[in-house]
Amino acid sequence: MGEPVWGPVHQDIVGLLADHPADVPAVVDHLTKLQDMLVRLPPLERSCPLADFNELYLTITTSVLNGLYDDRFADPVFLARLDVEFAARYFDALRYWTESSPVTPRAWVCLFRRMRGPDARPLPSAAAGVNAHINYDLPFALVTTFDSLESEPVDGSEQHHDYLEINQIFAERIPELRRGYLDNWQIMIDMLNGDIDDWYQGELVEYTRNVAWRNAQKIWRCRHDPEARECERERLDDNAAALGRLLLSPLGALLQ
Amino acid sequence: MASDVDAAPLVGRAGQVATLRSALLDDVGPGQTAAVFLTGESGVGKTRLLREVGDQLRAADALVLTGACLDIGDASPLHPLLQALRRFDADLTASHPRTSSAVRGLLQMFAEETGGPDGAGALLERVSRGLHLVAQGRPLVLVLDDLQWVDRSTRQLLLYLLAGLGDLQLSVLGAVRAESLQGAHPLRRVLTELRRLRSVRVLDLAPLDRADTERLAAEIVGGPLGVEAAESVWQRSGGNPFVVEELARDLRDGRDGLSDTVREVFLARVDALPEPAHAVVHAVAAGVEPVAHWLLAEVTRLPEQELIDAVRAAVAHRLLVGDDDGYRLRHRLVAEVLAHELLPAERSALHRRYAEALTSAPAELHQARLAHHWRLAGEPARALPAAVAAAEEAERLHGYAEAHRHWSVALQLAGVQPTGASAATTGASPADGGLDIDRADLLRHAAEAAHHCGEHARALALLEELVTTTADGGAPACALHIRRARYLAAAGRSAPAEAEYRRALAAADCTSRERATAAAHLAELLLHLGRYADAGDRAREALALAAEVDGSVPEVVMASMALGFSEAYLEDPDTGLAVMREALDTAERAGRPEDVACAYLHLAELLTGPLNILEEGVVVARRGAERVAELGLGRTYETRLLAIATNGLFRVGQWAEAEKVVAAALRHRPSGADAVELLLARCRLWVGYGDIEAADRDLEAVATVLAGGGARHVIPLLTLRAGLAMWQGRHDLARQAVQRGLTESRSDDVGILAALVWHGLRAEAEAYASRTVPVDQTAVRRLREVAERVARKSEHAVRSVRDVVDGFLALCDAELSRLDGSDPVLWARSVAEWDRRHHPYPAAYSRLRQAEALLARRSRTATAGKLLRQAYEVAQGLGAVPLSTEIRTLAGRARVQLEEHGASVEGRSPAGAESASDELAVLTAREREVLAAVAEGLTNREIGQRLFISERTIGVHVSHIFDKLQVRTRVQASAIFLRNRSE
Repeated sequence: MGEPVWGPVHQDIVGLLADHPADVPAVVDHLTKLQDMLVRLPPLERSCPLADFNELYLTITTSVLNGLYDDRFADPVFLARLDVEFAARYFDALRYWTESSPVTPRAWVCLFRRMRGPDARPLPSAAAGVNAHINYDLPFALVTTFDSLESEPVDGSEQHHDYLEINQIFAERIPELRRGYLDNWQIMIDMLNGDIDDWYQGELVEYTRNVAWRNAQKIWRCRHDPEARECERERLDDNAAALGRLLLSPLGALLQ
Repeated sequence: MASDVDAAPLVGRAGQVATLRSALLDDVGPGQTAAVFLTGESGVGKTRLLREVGDQLRAADALVLTGACLDIGDASPLHPLLQALRRFDADLTASHPRTSSAVRGLLQMFAEETGGPDGAGALLERVSRGLHLVAQGRPLVLVLDDLQWVDRSTRQLLLYLLAGLGDLQLSVLGAVRAESLQGAHPLRRVLTELRRLRSVRVLDLAPLDRADTERLAAEIVGGPLGVEAAESVWQRSGGNPFVVEELARDLRDGRDGLSDTVREVFLARVDALPEPAHAVVHAVAAGVEPVAHWLLAEVTRLPEQELIDAVRAAVAHRLLVGDDDGYRLRHRLVAEVLAHELLPAERSALHRRYAEALTSAPAELHQARLAHHWRLAGEPARALPAAVAAAEEAERLHGYAEAHRHWSVALQLAGVQPTGASAATTGASPADGGLDIDRADLLRHAAEAAHHCGEHARALALLEELVTTTADGGAPACALHIRRARYLAAAGRSAPAEAEYRRALAAADCTSRERATAAAHLAELLLHLGRYADAGDRAREALALAAEVDGSVPEVVMASMALGFSEAYLEDPDTGLAVMREALDTAERAGRPEDVACAYLHLAELLTGPLNILEEGVVVARRGAERVAELGLGRTYETRLLAIATNGLFRVGQWAEAEKVVAAALRHRPSGADAVELLLARCRLWVGYGDIEAADRDLEAVATVLAGGGARHVIPLLTLRAGLAMWQGRHDLARQAVQRGLTESRSDDVGILAALVWHGLRAEAEAYASRTVPVDQTAVRRLREVAERVARKSEHAVRSVRDVVDGFLALCDAELSRLDGSDPVLWARSVAEWDRRHHPYPAAYSRLRQAEALLARRSRTATAGKLLRQAYEVAQGLGAVPLSTEIRTLAGRARVQLEEHGASVEGRSPAGAESASDELAVLTAREREVLAAVAEGLTNREIGQRLFISERTIGVHVSHIFDKLQVRTRVQASAIFLRNRSE
């Protein structure tokens, strides 16, 4: 085994990942520190594709944290736990990658592989991360959150409204981040929220934004059946990975 | 039968073994608990490590019980524990021909358990008592493999025991497959919460590094490997010890290079097996492990000698391992290889033989296994009765989650139209068909089990199906509406629940009793929705209806409670109180224990809650606790009543009394929310006393229980954590706890939110005053915003809530002023607020700060002195050590004489009451009691028993006594005590 996965910042990242943040302020703190490390990662440094995603994710999570402080959500307990669970999956993926583990989700692998170059455009890079995180991680984070709160994913519930509120935050933050790419971003987010079939079929925006929620409901129903659950996981991983590869292909650059 | 599997050396794990040993045994103090969860990928050596550590701990004279979870889908509640006990029993009988009556007794207890409401907590208590007897004073270690398949009941038991609620010195060593934790595994969240605790570690077992890989391979081969071979083993295994071992063995036996992956290694071995061994391996793969010898014989239909030879061959090819209780595949990876090797027809034939064999000879997990095998044999009609029996069996052990699983399977099975073949089978064996299973009945059971285990949406869906199933049969509409309303209310969907109750009341077939039930429940629901006038109307209606029906006391109690609270909220306390008292009389006359208990509970809640008549509330709660104990409901209701009494006593400032009551309540070893409530109440006392260790222990215990679910208690937990951190000068930690709380609390819980905000502002103010950490201006701004929001929201709240909120908001305002020259006027207002409510502790704290503010401005020092003396007297009376210390420090700085001559602390204690002379005057009443006992020559444990407080707390008191009297030994302290007594 040659040099460490994270090059000169390996020890820093390993140290950071050893800690498991348990609340939203701690998640924001973690992402902030990670951002500092990623932009020092050679050879791409500031243009590291993962840093592009991490920056976007940090911005979104900070907005969520502010929303929690500002009483923006109906059920902050749910949303705070969801946020922590959601982030935990990103940190898990990074941890698996650090250990060169074969179980690193394929949805993430395609982005992680690009850290050593060649340079990718920031927009598709961030989008690839968003893809992995929303299409693969989010449904599972939802299921775990509901399970631990002894609640369940019911349409029209307070939690569902809060969940949709996050989409609103994405919509608010994204133009600010990439002013001028708004239209592309809109298309991207709508597209990312679905699996490829839905995208091709041009499903309605409202529907595709809800795909992670629907997938969570699907997993919820089979969550006690390890085999069915694993099957579902594989399906989501494959879909997200396919979309991720597409985004990081030359085609993705067209978006910017 | 030992295979050479066990002979495989353990390489590269010395560090982990030592860590585990000390974490699980050496570092665990008496009465403490600890846990280590090992995670790692398949083949990384978790099971091997478990065995090694288990052996070492056994050698160190711990009692080690080992079990494993099963992958047949939450088959049976508490299975791993039962398995561990049976194994232990078998070991005892085999090794030294004796039996342990304690183990037998515990197993017997499980066999005799009968299902029923509230039984789950009592079962936990009995299990911990049983384990206590089994352990006989030795440290107990539970080693559980394959925790990724753990059932919900076992999960709850582990958290209960680890929280120390079972009063048992216990360590848990569990192994979890890392792959399984991906996705949405229920253990994920539990581990996230647990890994923050000091007593729990999550250890990720990594593959071996290159050097260890070579060492392991060399040990198996029996000599060093060539460069090329070593490289090949390293590349192909990635350091996974299981794979290394297999590759090295092939290398040793000259089979190297034939296969590239471990899958191929095993396929090659399966192919090389003689025919009977082939059959044996496939049979075990289809079975539920461990597969007993007799069962394997029945399934393979091999003659005895042939079977033994076949098993030997399978073991020699390292596909199978044998143990006392049966055979299992050597590794999960083997099962994965074998999974694709059989034709579906072959597999279902195997399952049929299992089912047939098990039918004739009941074994462990009988029904669950029968259901499993018949289902996979493609015989739904025969699987169905077994699934029903398995569900009933799970309900008997209060495992509603597991029961729900079985009921769901039963429904699926019942939905399958019998094929010709299985119909014939059913017809041929009327013995099985004797069980007449009605689909509507299955739906009813499934819905109720789902409701009990919190699967509300599922419960409602099942109920809908029940409606369509029985539509033509004319199901009773009223009962159905009431049931649906119950499920909806449990799911927190109040609006539709209300509509259902209304429909029930309007239903034509509604009996008077049902009408009373619906009206009473509706009243309760409206109360929760804050519609007090409506709730009162409905409650009156329910009372009128109930008056006409015999035996409707539960409805009377519930309706009276709703009426009582609604009147209290509408500010007519006397009417409400009178109704509730009458309900208690009614319940006593009718004599059903649960009704009496409920009535006491509601009355005590009413008094200590909205009415804030604390002293009377405490008396009622304690009287009620005695009464329900007489009635045999000690575990459930006495515990809850005593929790109310404890909290009331804390607020009125009778801490020593509160401590006794909470200790009495915890003797019932409560679980779940009841336990959390009591631990928080006790922790509040420890924080007040400044007993950091005890407070910390209770906070850990609460966090452990809450890791299993339940977000309601998180904010009080975080508030206490912040309070404790402040006494330790850790304002940064206090800030963290408050920030987490702010992001996880609902803005309509104004009462607990107000307390949290006060802690946050106090942390910032004290950080500023003590210069421990810089003030976080963003945090201050946010806290101020939340305080404003709380103030706005509480304007619309009922008076009792507003009252509490106002007290904390007064504290918040005053703390804020500390960041900018503390304002004595604001503190005076806070003093007045808390005095008005008769809560001496926050009032004393506010007096201290008011005095501090006055002294800082060098104005009215006489007033400041008076305030300090008042605060000091209260703090001393409470035993609030950290607060007393702060007051003393300030008084010392300001040269304020705290004790006026002759007017020392009031003498409530028997010892040193009237004649506490100067030397003893520095002691609190409690400390004098302790000192009196020390002078009698009692040990800390004995004193603790006499005074109903923990040994540790006595230790704290003693050290304070030593400090204050400036002595170093008990003899010196006793001498001072006796000298002053004789005067």
